[in-house]
Amino acid sequence: MLTYITKKHAYTICYCVCFLFFLTPVFAGDPVYPAAMIPDSLKKNAHVVKRMEEVVVKINDPRDVRVTTHFVITVLDAEGEKYARVIESYDKLKDLRSIKGTLYDALGLPIKKLKQSDIQDMSGVGSESLMTDDRYKQHAFYYNVYPHTVEYEVEVRYNHSFYLPYWVPQEDESFAVQQSKLVVTAPKDYVVRYRNFNYKGEPAVTDDGGDKTYTWEVKNMAAQSDEPFAPRWYKRTTTVLLAPAAFEMQQYKGSMNTWEEFGRFAYILNQGRDQLPDGVKQTVHQLTDGLSREEKIAKLYKYLQEHTRYISIQLGIGGWQTFDANYVASKGYGDCKALSNYMCALLKEAGVKASCVLVYAGDNAKDVTEAGFPSTRFNHVIVCAPGTKDSTWLECTSSFYPVGYLGGFTADRPVLFVDETGSKLVHTPVYTMEQNQQIRHISATIAETGDMTLKADTRYTGLQQDDLHARINMLTKEKILERLRQAGYFSSYDVNGYECKQLKESLPAIDEHLEIAAHNYATVTGKRMFLEPNLLTKTGRRVTADTARKSDIYLADAFRDIDTVKITIPEGYTPEALPQPVALQSIFGNYASKVSVEGNVITYMRSIEHKGGSYPASAFPELEKFYNGMYKADRARIVLVKK
Amino acid sequence: MRSRSIVFPLQLAAACLFALTTFSQTRDKVRFGKVDPEDFAATSFEKDTSAHAVVIADIGSSEFQVERDHFELTYKRFKRIKVVDKNGYDAASEEIPLYISGQLEEKLINLKAVAYNLENGKVVETKMESKSVFTDKYDKNHILKKFTVPGVKEGTIIEYTYSVTSPFYFNLQPWNFQNEYPTLQSEYSVTIPEIYDFVFLKQDINSMLTVKTTVDRQTYNVTYESNGPTGASQHGSFSANTVKNVWTAKDIPALREESYTTSLRNHITRIEFQLSAIKYPESPIKPILGNWQKFSEDLNKDENFGADLSKNNGYLGDVVDQLTNGLKDDTAKARRIYNYVRNNFTCTDHSSLYLTKPLKTVFSSHNGSEADINLLLIAMLRRAKLHADPVVLSTRNHGFTHELYPLKSRFNYTMAAVTVDTLTYFLDASRPYLGFGRVDMSCYNGHARMLTAESVPVYFNPDDLLEQKSTFVMLMGGEGGILKGSLQQYPTYFESCAMRSSIKDKGKDAYFKGKEKDFVAETVISGVELENLDDNEEVLKLKYDFDMKADDAGMIYINPLFTEAMRKNPFRSQERRYPVEMPCVMDETYTLNLTVPDGYVVEEIPKSAMVKFNENEGVFQYLIQQSENSIQFRSRIKLNRAVFAADEYNSLRDFFDMIVKKQSEQIVLKRKS
Repeated sequence: MLTYITKKHAYTICYCVCFLFFLTPVFAGDPVYPAAMIPDSLKKNAHVVKRMEEVVVKINDPRDVRVTTHFVITVLDAEGEKYARVIESYDKLKDLRSIKGTLYDALGLPIKKLKQSDIQDMSGVGSESLMTDDRYKQHAFYYNVYPHTVEYEVEVRYNHSFYLPYWVPQEDESFAVQQSKLVVTAPKDYVVRYRNFNYKGEPAVTDDGGDKTYTWEVKNMAAQSDEPFAPRWYKRTTTVLLAPAAFEMQQYKGSMNTWEEFGRFAYILNQGRDQLPDGVKQTVHQLTDGLSREEKIAKLYKYLQEHTRYISIQLGIGGWQTFDANYVASKGYGDCKALSNYMCALLKEAGVKASCVLVYAGDNAKDVTEAGFPSTRFNHVIVCAPGTKDSTWLECTSSFYPVGYLGGFTADRPVLFVDETGSKLVHTPVYTMEQNQQIRHISATIAETGDMTLKADTRYTGLQQDDLHARINMLTKEKILERLRQAGYFSSYDVNGYECKQLKESLPAIDEHLEIAAHNYATVTGKRMFLEPNLLTKTGRRVTADTARKSDIYLADAFRDIDTVKITIPEGYTPEALPQPVALQSIFGNYASKVSVEGNVITYMRSIEHKGGSYPASAFPELEKFYNGMYKADRARIVLVKK
Repeated sequence: MRSRSIVFPLQLAAACLFALTTFSQTRDKVRFGKVDPEDFAATSFEKDTSAHAVVIADIGSSEFQVERDHFELTYKRFKRIKVVDKNGYDAASEEIPLYISGQLEEKLINLKAVAYNLENGKVVETKMESKSVFTDKYDKNHILKKFTVPGVKEGTIIEYTYSVTSPFYFNLQPWNFQNEYPTLQSEYSVTIPEIYDFVFLKQDINSMLTVKTTVDRQTYNVTYESNGPTGASQHGSFSANTVKNVWTAKDIPALREESYTTSLRNHITRIEFQLSAIKYPESPIKPILGNWQKFSEDLNKDENFGADLSKNNGYLGDVVDQLTNGLKDDTAKARRIYNYVRNNFTCTDHSSLYLTKPLKTVFSSHNGSEADINLLLIAMLRRAKLHADPVVLSTRNHGFTHELYPLKSRFNYTMAAVTVDTLTYFLDASRPYLGFGRVDMSCYNGHARMLTAESVPVYFNPDDLLEQKSTFVMLMGGEGGILKGSLQQYPTYFESCAMRSSIKDKGKDAYFKGKEKDFVAETVISGVELENLDDNEEVLKLKYDFDMKADDAGMIYINPLFTEAMRKNPFRSQERRYPVEMPCVMDETYTLNLTVPDGYVVEEIPKSAMVKFNENEGVFQYLIQQSENSIQFRSRIKLNRAVFAADEYNSLRDFFDMIVKKQSEQIVLKRKS
């Protein structure tokens, strides 16, 4: 519950996502919530059962929002233990007013009350930021007799209404919920915006003349099974997102009924922070005068990459408001906001129009920002220079990215383009299957002993080069080699050569050359030799559904791999068993592999075209067939026999 | 007196130190603020290792100084680093931990940081502003001072210098000569007035350190406690010899992590100090460090350790009586109490030598550190009139304890020992998977101490931890091209522990469903039987049947080891710098009886083989034999040693290569035509 979520993703900004949790305990004398009262239907697959919860959000005024979360959880086994605790963050925008708690035994009799001295108060700075004002408090009873029940009440106060809590009564698959309620109260004239997911109907609304109260409630939600390739959890369970219409944060006022309004607020918050010192202005002109728009962007992006570095400092409203351009120029560092703001200022000086763009970054976070529900669900800032045909996108926290490339961290998702008047939600570039490729040629030789030497030449493009790009740019040569040795390609091997070349293309591409000597790759038993012709590109997983699939299937980015492998075997061997050609066609993509032998050369061809996107739950058997088919085909073995 | 220890990851450890500026005798004369254009020339490290940053100089000192009327330690540090490329930017950010205890606190003073860039042949300085230093209140006892140097680019030289003053005069700061970047010069100078007697603990495996010692005399004006007959505080001035030691190392390679290393702490070039005695003028020597008996006595009397153990602890009476009621045998009583504590108390931290709260609170809260839980166990055992004592040790990731010096800071773990007649059982109730008399693998780190009055050394050597496993498989033909097998296995003790918790977590069905995927061929497991699932003291016994689809087309190829084959060599690196330290010795036996399915004949079987490691230190057997329509197969891997020197690495790797190779070989059956 009370999940504390750190903001320390490598590039983070902000305090975008807010976490909420709260309530009002009873602490009555009667046994509360004996474990025996839990219906069997809620125990199935569950590690914990939320017996009750009440989340009360009281908006007193735009600068005073109280959130009280009161919940009672029965922990069924040790696996559920991690939910029976409170971890709550606080900072300059959020005051953690109180934590109360009680531990009950299986019968519901109180064993122990939380003592304030047992609450740990810790720094939340973490290792990704130089400094933030984040702190957190945590408490747990650490009781290990099951079942037992904990009750907590946590009260927080926001001194702003920029973001509001959200409600996800079922916190993950292993959670069953007997009853949970969200109650939002606000002055009658204060508009509360909300977005429901998997909630039947609308909240009950009451009006006592002064305040308006909205109530959502769920009952008897059974635990779900853990499903691979599933959409984000909150879209699979009941969720209510809340956001303000009008809000205040410190001396700033704004509204977010539309993206345009929100963008305007973000603009005003950072307005006037783009003044460059004269020296830098001169440098900009020296570098760019007389160049084309594209050349100017490339030059200045390179200048940014060479003269600044990423350092995160987040204090109070500084989670949203940037350090100014002068700060970045003099210190040579900044966070995503500050570096993006600085980049925009450089471009502006060179006469290129560009804006900051708010994004929810993360390799698996394409769908966090709800396009239809303007709210603060962002954690990062990038830059967009709109062009007549194509816009140029710039990730300003990376010292290595090619100009105009976003990578899996921010590509393919709705983002907010911030502008004085024309703020709007736009979509970052999508990298397609044709762009995300791995084309590999291997030539290998196998000796009589089964030892193999191979040379593999691979071209990676688009998203498929992201990891390699990071590795070759960020690690020392020794570490890169050590990674290759530890990767476990074969049962035992040495890496004898490795080289990478980054190609100067508009779509990032890397050519990799790898030489390996694998000990006993082929198994030699008497006159036979056994070997798998697929040397380096194998699908990792078998997929099985233990229960009927419930959630939709969500596959990340599309990609294509093509392998051509030539293996020279010792003279005198002929095939005794060869894998049959495999061709799998499915709505998720296509796969083909084929082995042929000519003289003492084995040729193995493999290709996979894998689509991304969402598919209905009913397609799961087809996904199983596709993945398991590939898994098997990738491990097919050739048996050779010496005549 | 308990010395503080700040446990931070290694890369920070270097930052935990403090410093001093110049040394006229150093040839290179690296001084703060003196950076010339030629200092930007590439160092040999950049050329040879593609390091992201190079520490040009790391120079520190510790000195005792009189602050008002008492001694304080002043630690000074000066560090100059060259940022070679963008990935070396982290070197520009630093954290300085400061310790606070009640009213006493360490203070950071005179922090200065500068970046130097070479622009058009000139050195340009960027200074850090003092407001750029942040204070993070890390927890109750620690503050982190954090800063980053501005104006850093590729090729920048950065410098910082600072002092830390500390009232914790017994806590003379250690020094790491080695860190995550290669270092050209590292130097630490320590000046100690002879009233303090410190033991120097030097770790210098590659003999990189040189030391220079000088003696001087100084006058101090302090108040000190006399240990004389009156015991009163005295104020006075005295002069004492001071001994200054300067340790220097040059061209030190970066630290490198390797697999099968217990802790880099055992390998890093480092010096640390331990106060052993105080000799104020005209007072008898006050021993601090003492001997092992004293060590034992101190801990047993310490409020935060054993003081409560000698008390009556009446609050334990009911529970202990209930648990031991009706039992006559002492071992049975101990076992019952142990099981109760293990099953009813949650361990929240596994690296604490001392109590984190009073025993009574541990008892009522049902949770605590491993020390809390095991000391409570001892109190309960003693309450039952059993002979129980604490055992203290250092876990594998915490480095070795020093057998010669009783240094409390080297210990981080407390267990229990109970002695019945002449038999001693070691008990650890903090890990729910362990059984009575079992010690966790992480504790097999050599020398430990049992805190009886005599303070008995005990040794948990990985060489003495035998992880034994045996597997028996029968395989025969079934109907429709199916091979039918049955497997019976006794996994090793710690494998049993892992399987138990996995089975409890996922459920038996899901666990064995997952196991099916380990077979190369499509396989269905049925008829699972498990023994000792609830008995943590014993290894599991498991039995199941399996049906396997043969790949067919006239030939059946079978790896006789199925899922038990070692598929990858655990030693992947080509070279080795540190010893290989495995946690245990192994002995794994696998036996197969195969009845050739009807309609098939044996076409080919692998050759038998036997390989010895270093004569009789290890053996790998691969024995196979065919008679009529059956095949008997047996494989055994046995290693009698857990620790191997770096120069034995290649033969160890080859030994495992052979195992992996043989264990991939196939039996070939051919359909009768």
